[in-house]
Amino acid sequence: MTKLTLSILDMHCSACAMRLEGIEDDLPGILAIRASYQRQTLVVEYDEALVTEAEIRQAVATKGYTIQPV
Amino acid sequence: MAVQGGLLTGSLAAELEKDAASVPVMRGKASKRVNYRIAQPILLFLAAKLVAYTLLGALMGALGSVLSLTPVMRGILQLAIGIFMIGNALRMFNVHPIFRFFNFEPPARVTRWLRRTSKAQSTPLTPLLLGAMTVLIPCGVTQTMLALAIASGNPLTGAMILLAFTIGTSPVFFGLTYLATRLSSLMEKYFLRIVAVALLILGFISIDTGLVLVGSPFVFSQIPAKVSAMFNPGSVIAEPTQAGGLTRQDVAAPSSPDELTLAVTNYGYEPSKLSAPANTPITLKLVTQDTTSCAVAFTIPALNYQTLLDSSGTKVVTIPAQPAGSSLRFACSMGMFVGTITFQ
Repeated sequence: MTKLTLSILDMHCSACAMRLEGIEDDLPGILAIRASYQRQTLVVEYDEALVTEAEIRQAVATKGYTIQPV
Repeated sequence: MAVQGGLLTGSLAAELEKDAASVPVMRGKASKRVNYRIAQPILLFLAAKLVAYTLLGALMGALGSVLSLTPVMRGILQLAIGIFMIGNALRMFNVHPIFRFFNFEPPARVTRWLRRTSKAQSTPLTPLLLGAMTVLIPCGVTQTMLALAIASGNPLTGAMILLAFTIGTSPVFFGLTYLATRLSSLMEKYFLRIVAVALLILGFISIDTGLVLVGSPFVFSQIPAKVSAMFNPGSVIAEPTQAGGLTRQDVAAPSSPDELTLAVTNYGYEPSKLSAPANTPITLKLVTQDTTSCAVAFTIPALNYQTLLDSSGTKVVTIPAQPAGSSLRFACSMGMFVGTITFQ
């Protein structure tokens, strides 16, 4: 299991957090997911055998959000 | 609203995809059918939401009545609501990350369940269920309305506040959801700014009424009158000579200097400024005549006194002796109608 924490730049309200958490319905291998509008973060725990970090990042972008570059 | 709109939009997306697949180019009747297919679930959603929020408003009002709030407690609640409203407005303007904490996040379990329900096989029951369940995820603005319903301390008033709020927001909600499903959420940003401005104004009004109810000597709404008095020291602040069906002339003249008479009208208290002798108990006669406004919920916050007047009649209140130079502010229970007795 791998834990990934992403800073999301453009969450407007808790609806955005809810939308981002919808990634667990779109991708396989998501074990836990929690988006926080207040902290502007998305924390994903995933099984790297089933999904990659790049795929998760792509799913975030598909939903229309920008990940803060490290 | 964005949360709820998002849910409904999500629920409608599956329907639209099916339509798009079956009708390659939507024109004429096909387009009309899609319009109806979008409009119907939105209306069902709104109807369920209206009923659910009205009931919740009644529940919040009942909660407020059980708590039997004193004017000062209500004032403090009103101040907190005002701060909450302004905090939410500043959050919407993205002034500082700290204001994001004014928006309570619903538990993950609730949002997950709602999200999955919205994506599930769509039936007429889905929007109905989603509409009713939105009470579990009230947005920041709705949360302030719920607090306002508690502050009203009356189940009927609480229900009316939420009913009016839900009806008032429904056309915009309908329009936005309709556009969001058909076009995009381009308008949302502009709409949020308008809401934020309205919330900012409501927040200041709420803080103002809160200040009145806690007996604060500083009240925003008196600033214009005070500024005007500063520039025209000789002038007397104009007061309406007639307010509602009851005028000053309708009220019998006081028989002694320590007896004051106040007309409680649908538009406030008349006169709003009274003078009384100091160091002696005062009899205040409150006269109503077909008065149905909230002015009947009369309070004197500093004395922790509150009463609900009959729509027509006279109620006598005895005010204990007050020192010379002091003043007592009276107000309706929501702090919207105010007046002052000055002791000389």
